[in-house]
Amino acid sequence: MPTNRRLIISHFAVAFAAFLAACALGVWQMWVRSPLSGPQDIPERYYQSVTAHGVSMAFVLTTFFIMGFGYYVAETALKRPLPGRNWARAAFGIGVAGVLMAVVSIASGKASVLYTFYPPLTATVWFYVGLVLVVAASWIWCVLMLVAMGSFKKANPGVPVPLAMYGTVANAVMWLWTTVGVSAEIVFQIIPAVMGWTQTIDVGLSRTLFSWTLHAIVYFWLIPAYIAFYTMAPRAAGGRLYSETMGRLTFVLFLLYSLPVGMHHLFMDPEHSTGFKFVQMSLTALVSVPTLLTVFTISASMELAGRLRGGKGLFGWIRALPWERPMVLATGLAFFMLWFGGGGGLINMSYGMNAMIHNTSWVTAHFHLIFGGTVVIMYFAIIYEIWPSLTHRQFRSVPLQRLQLWLWAIGMMVMTIPWHVLGLQGQWRRVASFDYSDPRIAAWGPWVVVSLVGGIVLLVSAVLFVWNLIPRRYSPALEPKPGYAFALAAHPPHRVPGVLNGFVLWNILVAVLMAAAYGFPILQFFLGDSPQAVIHPVTGG
Amino acid sequence: MTGVREEDVVRSELRWGLVTIAAVSVIMIAIIFAGVAMHINPPSNIERVNPQDLHLSAEFTEANLGTRVEANGQITSRIVATQFAFVPRCVVLPADTPVTMRFSSPDVIHGILVSGTNVNTMVVPGYVAQVHTVFRKTGDLLMPCHEFCGLGHSEMLATVRVVPKADFKPGPDGRVACANQ
Amino acid sequence: MPADDDGLTQEALEAALKETPRGAFALAGLTVGLLMAAWLAMYLLVFLPRGSVG
Repeated sequence: MPTNRRLIISHFAVAFAAFLAACALGVWQMWVRSPLSGPQDIPERYYQSVTAHGVSMAFVLTTFFIMGFGYYVAETALKRPLPGRNWARAAFGIGVAGVLMAVVSIASGKASVLYTFYPPLTATVWFYVGLVLVVAASWIWCVLMLVAMGSFKKANPGVPVPLAMYGTVANAVMWLWTTVGVSAEIVFQIIPAVMGWTQTIDVGLSRTLFSWTLHAIVYFWLIPAYIAFYTMAPRAAGGRLYSETMGRLTFVLFLLYSLPVGMHHLFMDPEHSTGFKFVQMSLTALVSVPTLLTVFTISASMELAGRLRGGKGLFGWIRALPWERPMVLATGLAFFMLWFGGGGGLINMSYGMNAMIHNTSWVTAHFHLIFGGTVVIMYFAIIYEIWPSLTHRQFRSVPLQRLQLWLWAIGMMVMTIPWHVLGLQGQWRRVASFDYSDPRIAAWGPWVVVSLVGGIVLLVSAVLFVWNLIPRRYSPALEPKPGYAFALAAHPPHRVPGVLNGFVLWNILVAVLMAAAYGFPILQFFLGDSPQAVIHPVTGG
Repeated sequence: MTGVREEDVVRSELRWGLVTIAAVSVIMIAIIFAGVAMHINPPSNIERVNPQDLHLSAEFTEANLGTRVEANGQITSRIVATQFAFVPRCVVLPADTPVTMRFSSPDVIHGILVSGTNVNTMVVPGYVAQVHTVFRKTGDLLMPCHEFCGLGHSEMLATVRVVPKADFKPGPDGRVACANQ
Repeated sequence: MPADDDGLTQEALEAALKETPRGAFALAGLTVGLLMAAWLAMYLLVFLPRGSVG
């Protein structure tokens, strides 16, 4: 186990190649935005870079990592070879073709619409086709995850689906729901407009459809990190998962509440009422619950491990933990960044409070810290954990892994704290260059330079990450071939209620919640005359 | 297992669940208070308009843009957001007075914030975005376009000039422009 | 399954579980409490003073 090692490694290779390139672009972007002069400091290049950076980080790094990790979990947690491996290979090919299409489109300068591609700005059709192909590849992955879980259950009636797989399939189910929004926007609105079959586009509808995807997608990214919290970190710490039931409940709550909340990205929009904004804000408050529960359950699991290692008292168990292990270190750093990133998120979602920070650097700070920080540091830790079982080689240097993780966390904090401050001072987003001759803007300059330094530290960490993964020619091959052992539960379940071993009930509830939260907000654009905006292609130059 | 049983684990999780519910409730109450008592709400005036006719409309025609005191005493600033400038680039508004700002776009998505205040709204083609507020601090406030609207986005900036009430002197047609201040 | 066995004995687990989750309550309680305090500080000191909008 796993049997499809090359397939899995290929996914990670694409993910982290895109990641590394995007990190470099990110540093350049911060450089030209700062008071320091940099090369190619023109808007055309800046927005090309922002589009490439966003697409790489938000769509390529994530989707390919999650697919690869999903295949890995399906084999190692279920202890069965992946079903449909030819489908998986086809999906990989389709996904790579999509990425290449998108990359070439962006490089040509005809797709500088950012990763949120808000129409009526439109790019070349190849950009959208490329992204649709990546989504299509991920749908094949979703089906394979469902099939893998289904055949496990059939072969093992009454046996609880291992938690790591349950979380993975919850994520796959959620992703199928999530992609409906942006797919509808691209297929029914944007591509017809770009092809000239329609001359105008309903922007209120497109923003609403995009918001459907935009929030849930961040939970698609986040769930693998939580799978690591629940099924990898406790064992790495030398303990057990305090409550497996809470793990299952957490994944179910994310499935339910990640979707009907997208409107909190539209709080400042004029096409929706306070009524629906308030409803979706209340649901957003509910999606904070699985994270708050996780904070407790994982703390308790770590506490268990610390006490097993002799830690005493209220906090002594913290020091007793094996912090030298990368998975444990990453978990600690992830939770530290979660305080800031999650706290920022609580402010963003707080209805009227959103007006204080919408479209300022505060928002940029928030998602870099919560996703780039808490989630991605766990992606690194997951790779470090499973790399020996994928490559059948021993690592050269664990201290270098720890250094890489520390650099990532420090770089992320140094980069994002200034952005939080600047956001509160009114610095706005997606600016290619600031007029530093204005004294109000000049005051921001030093903060901008500090965040640039953070970004450089992140780039160093990113390079070190890739370096750490390259097997040295003389590193010993591992015998016997290692598999992977997930964390056990403190009270291993012999039976699990059907609702926490499957998704039928939750799918029904998702449909109900989505109908309530998004039904009228979307339907309204089809009642009466919904205003149409003129298409503005960015390809014209 | 005779010691700690799963029921004890579940009970501890439920106790923590209460803490979670309490925390979320505090936030919800504070949010509702801010909305109802302090009048801080997401601007949600749903008003449809045809972006292609905007310049022809009675309201957003160029001669009607900027700040005007209406017949009923209401003070309204009308601003068009377009690639890549606000028209007008500067508006005057009095401090300590309820004012209304109305925005629309004939082309792509824009957005505004007024520095140092909670005034923030997206400007979506097809809609009139409207905010009501009371400015407390005087001075020239930055009002940038805060949503990516194309290559010229970085240059798109306006000023909200907040003047003391006594210095807010509309002309006979009810209009006030920055040049006169 | 022997390959998955993490080598922990029942007695060791029992002993450790006896004190758990006091530490988790303390840590999670403290951090979430601080989070609430920070949120309230932002609410009272930055957000409300910036005035009305709607």
